[in-house]
Amino acid sequence: MTNGFRRLCTTCVVAMLMPGTAFAATQGTLGATSTGSISIGASIPNRVQISKLTDVSFTNQDPSVNASNAQSVCVWSNTSTKGYNVTATGSGTASAFTLANGALTVPYSVEWAGSSAQSSGSALTAGTALTGLTSTATNMNCASGPATSASLIVKISSANLQTMQAATTYTGTLTLVVAPE
Amino acid sequence: MAADAHAATAFAIRESGRGKSWGTAPRPSASPLWQFAAGMRLVLAGTSAILLAALPAHAASNKVRVTGLSDVAFGAIANLNSDTSQSQSVCLFADTNTNGYNVTATGTGPGGAFELSSGSNSLAYEVQWSSSSGQVSGAQLSPNLPLTAQSSTAVQQTCNNGPSTSASLVIFLRSGALSSATAGTYSGTLTLVVGAE
Repeated sequence: MTNGFRRLCTTCVVAMLMPGTAFAATQGTLGATSTGSISIGASIPNRVQISKLTDVSFTNQDPSVNASNAQSVCVWSNTSTKGYNVTATGSGTASAFTLANGALTVPYSVEWAGSSAQSSGSALTAGTALTGLTSTATNMNCASGPATSASLIVKISSANLQTMQAATTYTGTLTLVVAPE
Repeated sequence: MAADAHAATAFAIRESGRGKSWGTAPRPSASPLWQFAAGMRLVLAGTSAILLAALPAHAASNKVRVTGLSDVAFGAIANLNSDTSQSQSVCLFADTNTNGYNVTATGTGPGGAFELSSGSNSLAYEVQWSSSSGQVSGAQLSPNLPLTAQSSTAVQQTCNNGPSTSASLVIFLRSGALSSATAGTYSGTLTLVVGAE
């Protein structure tokens, strides 16, 4: 009885330590029909993906008018809430949002909206995550379901445009990092 | 075991019949009584030979057995953009005249669908079957629908001798299902019912 209890407890401990293997395959017996079964397990980790980004080009901007470029992008998240956060960094000093031509620089601003086709959104700070966003994308490339799920807005204020040297091309890179929530 | 027992019995009967030599026994005398007895022996021997010839060499029990099944653990799937699969070789024994069998699979999704679940979320999978071992693909199974006209090479019900396995079971997780599934730990049960044919 004692030995039997010990064996039973040992089995319990093993079962508790191995929750993923609580169900073991069963083998069939000989008969007119024979039935067997297996358990199948898989784990899908949290994943996000951003796509459908396009380059931004401001050309021949009127310095007296604020410049703005908005694009709809695809952000997909497979978490239970479809949540994500986004962090933007520029190519300026300390990841600042600036365009440059040699020593000449001009700042720009970045906004993000958790829905597509928006012309304004929440202002992003370089290197700081904007949290609490939710995606409506149902496909990781938005190949099906909504074609886009978020908006990226890049702006150069009139005041900053007026600091730029005419007939000079300023360039820079904006990097966006999306993470699941 | 039952199949082996039948085979042994049939063999023993044949050997018994073959060992008898009623028609060539030494003649003790040429009396009419002995001649009558000898004639009767010949008749009985002939009848026995006819009966034994009518017996099949192996009386199939029409029984089947599936063993050697293993649980399938895909673990954490890093790449959701590609299909992933796991195959296993199993022992399928069919003691029928043709070694034929059929196999029916059911999952734990609605209506027996091949679905894993994680709470209220589901993840579809595919099941394929091959009647030879060591395969990484096979015929597509549909829930609750038998795949017929399969044949086994197993000679022992648990494949303890002869081929160690005789069929392949393959589970597929397709990228389309993986990329549209909610993150989580999924599990389910696949039941296989094998029938004699």
